Amino acid sequence: MGVVKLDAYVLIVRGKDALKLINGLSTNKVEASCSTVFTTNAAKIIDMASVIVTDDFIALVGHNPYKEDLLAHISQKILNQDITIGDATASNNVYLSTTEITPPGSVTISHTFRGWLMVAPTSVEITTNMSQSEFDDYRVENMIPMQGFEITPKNHPLACGLGHLVHESKGCYLGQEVLARMRSRGKQGKELVRLPNPVENATTVGKKNSLVIQRVKNN
Amino acid sequence: MDCNTCDTAPAVVINKPDVVDVDLTITEKAKEMLSSAFGDDMSHSLLVGVLSGGCSGYMYDLQIVESTDQDCQVVEIDGFKVLVPNATSHLLDGIEIDYIDRLMGGGFKINNPNASSSCGCGESFS
Repeated sequence: MGVVKLDAYVLIVRGKDALKLINGLSTNKVEASCSTVFTTNAAKIIDMASVIVTDDFIALVGHNPYKEDLLAHISQKILNQDITIGDATASNNVYLSTTEITPPGSVTISHTFRGWLMVAPTSVEITTNMSQSEFDDYRVENMIPMQGFEITPKNHPLACGLGHLVHESKGCYLGQEVLARMRSRGKQGKELVRLPNPVENATTVGKKNSLVIQRVKNN
Repeated sequence: MDCNTCDTAPAVVINKPDVVDVDLTITEKAKEMLSSAFGDDMSHSLLVGVLSGGCSGYMYDLQIVESTDQDCQVVEIDGFKVLVPNATSHLLDGIEIDYIDRLMGGGFKINNPNASSSCGCGESFS
């Protein structure tokens, strides 16, 4: 396997209320670096982001086409809290490595469920050695959903394989009522599955198998 | 990602909503309960704020305060001083402060014409 470059944004969130705000707006219990999903109050996805917590700030790394929607969503909820947001997208490149590697010192690396996420200043060269189709195949075989494919605003996190990022007991967050009801009633509607090719309405096509979001059979 | 890069990251312009001159009402029952809470000391105020959080995105924050460091507007109704933070005034214009007298789910309640939905427990709204 190898390294692929992602179309990602890097937002720098600062202020004493930053972690509390992110925790209150997303599905995972955000106490330290982790992945989490920002949802609407109907539990539809706004974006999945990797949260990288440092001593000075919190970096949110998500899917660039979803950046403006996420910013609009977060901005409305800041009110009078001590929070500022900076956009470091233009000065950083984001890569994902499917295996553990040791990047140069100025590169921030964070282990996520998708692999090792690397945020590198644009001045640092990181060699990519994985094609899009190889990355797609890696995702299919490991059931890893991706923004723009499975993770879209049409889906809720449970439907696209992000159930592990939906914390069961963290308390209230935007979208929590809907997701908790789905879980408690055992009715999440749709689920992410991997099926042997050919697959109708596949979200990601691999060499032998594909990912598809389909209605749960026993619902 | 190095810290120098992050320190110079251009700030995202956050469009703050316009401050609204809040119009609000207090029901007779709520006035009665506020009188009982304030006692003879009417120098205190009821701070009605909004915090982000809860299942619907925003939560009410009611406090009886002597003063606050928040930038607030003061609405006086029948001798009761109500403080509304300007930062959340757009969410609170037109509210009615009520008091529900029952064992479960009782207490001060905000009826808010700006709220399109609220969560099951009534603690938060959007």
